[in-house]
This record gives sequence, C-alpha cells and structure tokens, in this order.
Amino acid sequence: MTDYVMEAKHVYKTYRIKGEKKGDVKIVEAVKDVSLQIRKGDIKLIFGPSGSGKSTFLRCMDMLDIPDKGEIYLGDECLTVKGLDLNKARARIGFVFQHIYLFRHLTALGNVELALRQVLKLPKEEARKRAMAALEEVKITDCINKYPAQLSGGQAQRVGIARAIARQPDIILLDEPTSALDPELTGEVIDTLRDLAHEGTTMLIVSHEMPFAREVAEEMIFYDEGHIIETGSPMGFFNAPNTDRAKQFMDRIINRTTR
Amino acid sequence: MSDWLTNPLYWNWILQGLSVTVEITLFGVLLGLILGTLLAVGDIYGRKALRAAIAVYVEFFRGSPLFVQVFIAVYAIPPLLNIQIDHLLLAFFVFGLNSAGYQKGYIKGAMQTILDDQMQAGLSVGMSKWQTLRYIILPQAYRIVIPSWTNEFCSLTKSTAVLATVGIKDLVSAGISIKGIEYVILPVWLLIGGIYLVWITGFSKIMDRIYEKYKIPGIELDMQS
Repeated sequence: MTDYVMEAKHVYKTYRIKGEKKGDVKIVEAVKDVSLQIRKGDIKLIFGPSGSGKSTFLRCMDMLDIPDKGEIYLGDECLTVKGLDLNKARARIGFVFQHIYLFRHLTALGNVELALRQVLKLPKEEARKRAMAALEEVKITDCINKYPAQLSGGQAQRVGIARAIARQPDIILLDEPTSALDPELTGEVIDTLRDLAHEGTTMLIVSHEMPFAREVAEEMIFYDEGHIIETGSPMGFFNAPNTDRAKQFMDRIINRTTR
Repeated sequence: MSDWLTNPLYWNWILQGLSVTVEITLFGVLLGLILGTLLAVGDIYGRKALRAAIAVYVEFFRGSPLFVQVFIAVYAIPPLLNIQIDHLLLAFFVFGLNSAGYQKGYIKGAMQTILDDQMQAGLSVGMSKWQTLRYIILPQAYRIVIPSWTNEFCSLTKSTAVLATVGIKDLVSAGISIKGIEYVILPVWLLIGGIYLVWITGFSKIMDRIYEKYKIPGIELDMQS
C-alpha cells in the first residue's frame, strides 16, 4: 500500500505546435522529468510563467494528455500501463478546467448529475440528492436550472467545481480555475476553494492566486520550462525563495497583486 | 371549365402520390440521419482506410445525379443480384443513402465545433468516449444541425420527382397521368407545384418550431436557411 493518493514518477511530455512559417513545426518540451507525490488531505499549488507546461503536467495527471514517458499512480494503480480502463480511473479524479467546459446543453444540475447517473450508475433520486449536495457546497442552489450560457463566469466555474466534487473523487486537479474570470468574480471561486480546503479535500492546483496559496497550501511548487524548479512552504516562497528564477517570479507576482 | 378538378379519381392519385413523396422524404432523412451520424463518427475517429472509404461514399452520392443513383438501384442492381425488389423499397434506400452523404458533412461540421472541449469535459468526469458522444456531443450536434435538416428535407422532397421516371407513383407522376388524360398543362402543374409548396412551407415551419424549442438557451446559432 502506498501512502500517496497520487504520484507522478519521472513524467515527460512533448508536443508539437505549428510555427509561424508554413511547414514549421516547433517541439515544446512541456514536461521534463517531473515527479510529485500527494498525500491524502494535501493541498499543493503549482505556479510559474505561462507556457511553462504546468497545465500540460496537470492534464497528464488526469491522463487527458498521455505522458510520453514516466508513470502516473492513482493510489496503487499505475495509470500509464497500456490497456488500463482510464475511464474508471478518471471517475476517481476530479478535474476543473481553466475555461470551465460545462456541458452546454445541460442545466447546472444536469451538469453535476450526469456522471453520477452514467458513471457511478446511481439511481435517479440518489444522483439528484448528491448533485444537490455538491451544488449546495459551492453555494449555487439558486440557479440549478440555468444553462451554462446563462450563468456568470464565477457561477459557471463553481458549477464546474460541483461537477468535479460530486463523485467524491480521491483528488481534485484544478487548472487555473480563476484565470479566465473577470477579476471581480474570482473571489467567489476562491471562497469555494477555501471551503473545500477546510474540509480536507485533497487538491493539486495550478494557480497564481498568491494570497489564497499562502492561506491554504501546504506546499508550493515553482514550475518553469517543463521542470519543477523549487518546492517549499508558502512562507519560504514569500520570504526568501532559494532559486533566482523563483525569486524573480515571486517579485513580479507580489508587486502585481499588491499594487 | 376544370371538371377535372372535381374528379375524385384524380384526387385519389394526387393524395397517393403525395403520401409516397412524403414517406420517401421522411424515411430518407431519417435513414440519412442514422447513417450520416455513423459516417461522421467514423470520419472523425476511424482509421485511414475507413476515412478513405467514407470519402468515396460521400463523393459518389454528392457527386452524381440522384437520377443516376435511382436508375442504377432500380434497373441495374436487381438483375445483377438476380433478385426482384420492389421499386419503392429501393427508392427508400437510395434516398436514405444519398441523404447520408450530405448529412455526414452537416453532422461532422457540428461535432467539430464542440468536440474539443466537450470531449475533454466528458472524459474528465469518468465517462468513456462513447458515453461522451452519446450524452454530450451528439445531443448538441443534432441541435445545431436542425436548420440543415430543414434544407435537406426541402431538397429531398423536390427530388422525389425523379421517381416518376422509374414508374413510382409519386406526386409528379399523378400530375403526368392527369395531364395525359385531360390535356390541361399549366393548371395541373400549378396545382402539383402548389401542393409541394404548401407541404414544404408547412413542414419547414414545424422544423423552425422544433429548432426554437430545443436550441440551447443562451446560445444563438446562425440559422443556415
């Protein structure tokens, strides 16, 4: 038995993007030898410059991007083994997208309910009850019958979080959950995440919400150019990062948020 | 004038012709929808060989006249297989296969506008690719495609006129029969044309209602018709 809810071992992922000129192909090494362990109840926060590969790494954790090399473990189960039923594994992981990605033809309630019915195969009443509980958790009971396009960004993202937690997954992965929102709407999403944190939800979050990180994260991970550059406590990062790159980045971010 | 207009025999032909036209059209659109969906999914997820076969299929049905397709089905295929098949039954299938060639394009196009993010969201909650297609992608794609179906329905309805050439008693063939007996040309064709017009207009209105009823709230899609 492993102590870890999730673990990444020496994960690599490269992808190709088209360059400016026709036929130009640029190879991006988004994840280069990244290892990470998460215990039950851990809250870890990955931050770093945009385009550094943080999101790709997080998507690898959910096998939405398949790593080129290395292993991803969910408990004792290795997800990178060929032929594994990834759907079963993903059913135990919650994922919150930067651009939210709600099911557009379903109401808020429908969005949360669907996987409870189709994946967990719960009976109708049971699924309804659990979906409602998840929506209550994110404080969105007043617009459960609205469609995604009728919700504000903050409401939509909270429904996205409800959809991720309704299955009571082992861990929730959040990919910049507030960065696509208008600044005045990030607060309500942060409040929701803070509630989850206080309930002991295991979370791996890609985010630049520094005050939030300082408040709830046990560990911060500075990620740049496909690597983990530095890992430490929030206090360590806010007071004196070890690496120059992390120091520069923290300076920029703190200046920006306190300005 | 126009005693023929009150002749119950003629009206009998006209109504029977109309029912054949309507049945073939509706069946054609429905078969085209089922087959078109399979072709669209195959074209998106299939291997190279399957995609090539689908491309040939689509080009054949879109690139050759429906007239030719109907003639091949009715006059060439039964002798080749040494069997006798009812012409009407063959016509049903030709219209369905033909419509699938068009509908594959509509459905695939609609799927592609939503596929990227909605598939990821579906997988992320633990659904399989097929569950996501069934519960997320196709329900949205079909809503987007409704205006294209209306066009497809109009086009197929009018195309049933070719069936008169292989002896199927459609609406046009009723007109030909009446004209042959009564020697009135313009009034007969105005009547037949008018019946098409009323049926197509009425049905299009119903489709518009369906589109309005099922469209995803808050998202305005461009009507193509």
